[in-house]
Order: sequence, then structure tokens, then C-alpha cells
Amino acid sequence: MPHTVQSEPGEIFDIELDENLKKANDLIAEENRIQLKKHGVQAIDVMGAVGSGKTSLIEHLVLLLRSRYRIVAFKGDLTSKIDSERISNLGIQTVQINTGRECHLDANLVRKALGKIDLSVIDLIFIENVGNLICPADFPLGSDKRAVVVSVTEGPYMVVKHPFIFADADVAVINKIDLAGPMNVDANKLGSDVQAINAKTSVVFTNCRTGQGVSEVASALDIHPTL
Amino acid sequence: MHELSRTSQIVEAVLNEAQKQHASKVVGVEVDIGDLTFLGLEQVRFAYKVLTDKTIAKNSKLTIKRVRGRGSCGSCGYEGPLSYLNDPQFHISVPTFNCPRCGNPLSISAGRECVIRRIRVMK
Repeated sequence: MPHTVQSEPGEIFDIELDENLKKANDLIAEENRIQLKKHGVQAIDVMGAVGSGKTSLIEHLVLLLRSRYRIVAFKGDLTSKIDSERISNLGIQTVQINTGRECHLDANLVRKALGKIDLSVIDLIFIENVGNLICPADFPLGSDKRAVVVSVTEGPYMVVKHPFIFADADVAVINKIDLAGPMNVDANKLGSDVQAINAKTSVVFTNCRTGQGVSEVASALDIHPTL
Repeated sequence: MHELSRTSQIVEAVLNEAQKQHASKVVGVEVDIGDLTFLGLEQVRFAYKVLTDKTIAKNSKLTIKRVRGRGSCGSCGYEGPLSYLNDPQFHISVPTFNCPRCGNPLSISAGRECVIRRIRVMK
């Protein structure tokens, strides 16, 4: 019998693992990106706090763009279909993603939602994330562009308190500017805070009640009502 | 923000590996956690302690290496740590993703990790 050297009971040794715990989400996000690209579909992830105006922004973008693009909206919420009904009232298909308890959408939920629609007859998808300025930043979905909605009613420090959400944001939408006066909030300061954190993020000022500024948001996202 | 779910992923992976190695005990675990993730290190430690209780990883030493945010600049070639906005009005350090040298946007090269580097087990 040849002798083999084996570790014996009581011996301690190290195992190199290098196991990346974010890989699972990032891989699915990449798959989503490839699938969307294959069908020539643009996807825009809309993030922002609860009540910042994400759904109102999407409503106005749909009104502006629906004659050129075949649009679908994914709606992430903990519960309820309230918002997806608002958007489907505009005559476009919606997919409600109820996360139950989770505070953000992840790439797997978006993959499931993509499975519910026929991508060959779609040009543009708005993915409305769960109202939250923290968690969605850690979970890429595979979208082409990410927009963050911040409203002046959230107070003057909303941007600097949530810097990480702007790391990947292509567009920051400063909403409810009609209320900046009564709120005593300097909307321009919110915009310059965004630029100080990430110069790549374009800043657009809107009033999503009236639709003011929404066409500038579309341009900044590189989606245009006419060719 | 997701300390409990991330830490359960860590513990699950560690216990799986320990079982594969026929270990009788997990002595230590080393993880890298980036500053740009939303993982609070105190909460990770607490969750680790709770989740490893009644397992062979009970009382194992969790070593967390904080990975600082770094970026590289496509315009001027800067490669290095992110800089922070210093406004004494805020009692927090707000990172900027702009190049400290030329002001153009950086692409982030480090700081978003959550990786189990190695585990130390006893046969």
C-alpha cells in the first residue's frame, strides 16, 4: 500500500473560494441586456423615492412617445395594481411586478416580466422600480439607461444623502419644480449636487403634473417622438 | 440594506464548501465588501453570528476587508481612489464619481464587491 499524505483530523487549512455573491444578479442582467438588444428593444429603468413622480413621468413619456414607439411598462411595487392601471389606461400593455416584500427589482424579476411579453412587437420598455433610493442601486437590471426622479418636496438634501444611486444614472429628473417656492427648496442646487456627484448624469427639471420638461427628459434618454 | 440576505448567501456558500471538504469545523471566513455597496459591516457581523449559530461555523472568525471605491478616467487616464465632496454642512462623506484630476466622469473599477475570498476549516 502506497502512503498518501492527507490532512488529519484537527489540522487546519485554508480554501481559496473567490466566490462573488453579486454574480448571480449581474449575469442575469447581462442576459436581459443581450435579449433586449437582439430584438432592438430599448429599456429604461426609472428609479426614485416613494411619491417622487415616477409613474406620472412615465405617463407623460407614454403620451409623448406612443405614436412612434410600441411601448410596454413594467411596474414594480410591493403590492397593488394601482399604478399599472394608471398606465394601461393610456392604451399600452403593462406588466405588474409585485415584489411582495422586496424593496427593489432585481434582474431575475425583470427576466420573468420579459417572458410575459412578445419582444418582437415592442420598441421601448419603461421599467418602474420600487420606490426606493437605496437598494435599486445595487441591482442592475439590464436596462440601456437609468433615470432617477427626485422631487423638491423630498427636501433640499435628497441628492447628497443618496449619492450611490447616481453612480449609474444617465438622467436625473428634478420633479415638482412648481412647488420649489412653497417648499423653500432650491431646485438648481439639487441639480448641481447631482453634477458634483456624477458629471455624466444629465439634469432635467420637470413638473409631471402638467408635463413641463418631459420632452427634455425624452431627449436626454435618447428617445424622440419623431425620427 | 441587504445584510441578512447577503450574509445568508455567505454562510450557505461557506457551509457547502466545508461539507465538500469534509471539515469538522469552520474556523474563519474572509470576505471583501466594497464601500459602494449598501452593506453595513456591523449588521453583516451580527447576521453572521446569528446565522452560524448551531452550525459547524459557530464562533468562527469573520474577517471583513473593506474595499475602497476606485475609478479610472477615460479622458486623462487617472486610475485611483474616488474623491469625496467636503461640505462641512453634511456630517457624511459624499463620494463623487467625477475624476479628481480633470472632472470628467470616472468608470468605477472597485468598491462594489461582495466576495468570499477564503475560508479556514478544520478536518
